[in-house]
Amino acid sequence: MAILEGRNLRKTYRLGKRNIVPALRGVDISIEQGEMVAIMGPSGSGKSTLMHILGLLHAPDSNDGPRPDLSFAGRDMVDVGENERTKIRASQMGFVFQDFNLVPTLTALENVMLACDYAGVKGSVARDRATDALGLVGLSERADHRPAELSGGEQQRVAIARALVNKPTLILADEPTGNLDSERAEEVLTLLREFNEREGQTFVLVTHEPDVAGACHRIIRMRDGKIREETRPAGNTADPMVASPPPAPEREPVLAGR
Amino acid sequence: MRYLRNLGRRKARTTLTVLGITIGIWALVVFGSMANKINALVEGGSTYYEGKLSLSDSSGSMGGFSSAPMSIHTADLVREIDGVDVVVPAVMMLMDDASAMTMGVPPMITAAVAGTDEGREEFVISYAQGRALTAEDDGEQVVVLGSDISRKFSAQVGDTIELRDTAFQVVGIMAPTLTAPDQAAQIPLQAAQKILLATMPPMVQIGLNASDLVTSMTVFPEPGVDPEILADRIEREIPNVAAMTGNDFDEQIGSATAILNAILVGIALISLVVGGLSVVNTMAMSIAERTREIGIKRAIGGSRFRIVRELVTESALIGFVGGMIGLGLGALVVVAGNEAGRSSGTVLFELTAWSAITAVVFSTVLGALAGFVPALHAARLDPVAALRYE
Repeated sequence: MAILEGRNLRKTYRLGKRNIVPALRGVDISIEQGEMVAIMGPSGSGKSTLMHILGLLHAPDSNDGPRPDLSFAGRDMVDVGENERTKIRASQMGFVFQDFNLVPTLTALENVMLACDYAGVKGSVARDRATDALGLVGLSERADHRPAELSGGEQQRVAIARALVNKPTLILADEPTGNLDSERAEEVLTLLREFNEREGQTFVLVTHEPDVAGACHRIIRMRDGKIREETRPAGNTADPMVASPPPAPEREPVLAGR
Repeated sequence: MRYLRNLGRRKARTTLTVLGITIGIWALVVFGSMANKINALVEGGSTYYEGKLSLSDSSGSMGGFSSAPMSIHTADLVREIDGVDVVVPAVMMLMDDASAMTMGVPPMITAAVAGTDEGREEFVISYAQGRALTAEDDGEQVVVLGSDISRKFSAQVGDTIELRDTAFQVVGIMAPTLTAPDQAAQIPLQAAQKILLATMPPMVQIGLNASDLVTSMTVFPEPGVDPEILADRIEREIPNVAAMTGNDFDEQIGSATAILNAILVGIALISLVVGGLSVVNTMAMSIAERTREIGIKRAIGGSRFRIVRELVTESALIGFVGGMIGLGLGALVVVAGNEAGRSSGTVLFELTAWSAITAVVFSTVLGALAGFVPALHAARLDPVAALRYE
């Protein structure tokens, strides 16, 4: 079943009187439940914008073209108001960012509990769920530490725990390993794959790292606001536990760095 | 508490902001207590003069409070006038000449023959110690003290004090009334008349009898008679007499105190506005610094309402803490000021529980309001843009 379906997705940002940026120029996308999808592309390709729209942070443009469609879990999202989108984000989605983005004055446990709070879960139930989530990412002993006392890898794992604590249908990650060294990046990637396989949650990752993309079921490549290519790395749809290197198809060169 | 942690981020800045509110609330408490005290005095006076008239010599400066002597026999003339029910002749004079210029009511010696009012006097005085003066006391050297005066003399029932160089034995101490009687020493009429005569120049004394002298008369109208009309009638029919009614009192004293009130409270409110603006500024800065954090919260599902609520609670907390400290410091000044003033009989402040609660509630609400606009602005930011904010 398709958990996310988008048709005619466009987005133009007006940053000033003369600064008009057509970030997304018409994208059709369909993501199955349980899929792990990577979105790759150079800067300005529109990959982040696509993720923001899929994550209900921005609404797709309705003007200058055919009416866009966006449905999440079978529900139309184009005409839904901001408050409703926020609620869905809170309870049915999880976000992981490149910069970890934890609240600095809260402990690891409190950061995870924040996601529970926004989804309407409070008190000891929230505390228990948050503790479990931290346990799943291997950070139980660090629950009372503030982000400043945690390493980069640990902070990202807290962020993942936060993204997963409400057992959301969809997890969106924007360069989740971007700020990590290769060992930590490996750990994080393994974690994400584990959750995908065990809980069947859908993952959409924006990344420019081939290793990360290669661990996914499908790679979508974008350029200039449109999807240009989709590939499926071998070995990833059949048996995800067997690691096999992705084939080297003809690819457009990926402009690294952000 | 999470909110305290956020405030603790920039301790110096938070402290200064809280200080702004503290000073404003301190001013409100101290000046407000002064205003309270004045209002209580005026209120007492206004109540006292309701339905009564006070006659005094028309050459006096402040109607109703002149110390110029009148003849006691004028009372008989007044009793003849249509609409007059009871007349109580009285002597009132300053306890000492030095205290003429205090704020509020100066210490006074008052005297009348107890019972002359025939029960018409409605202003009830209760006694903390001892008893009231009775008609039998006339001719004796006894005194009943108001609560502030008893503190000034540190006197108990049974002690002897000196008023205008004359000894009096204390037979009663009044309970606090928060108005003029607190500053009064009541003596029998004869004793007061003797003192009054003695204050006059020797040449004038020769032709006078102490028992003829009074300084004012209280007139109780017959039921249904308008005091204003009666006042005019008395002034027309009896020469050299000024009649002051409750309305006159309200006009004269009321307007003066209204201005004083306005000044005092105005000062306090201005300080509070400044304090409030300081909170707005601090919250705006603090929120701007947390733009990224607000973006995160919005992105992971925090609603705008939640964000505003969190931030407004924080600024309300600043207001609350500032208010409590300001209240504490203000209360200290009030208590210390009253203690210091007691010895001279000048009690300047009255801090009621209601004033205190109002002050703190006000500062909390002020804090909340001050944070509201920056909070609303922050909540409306685009989460994606906020996330990228450096």
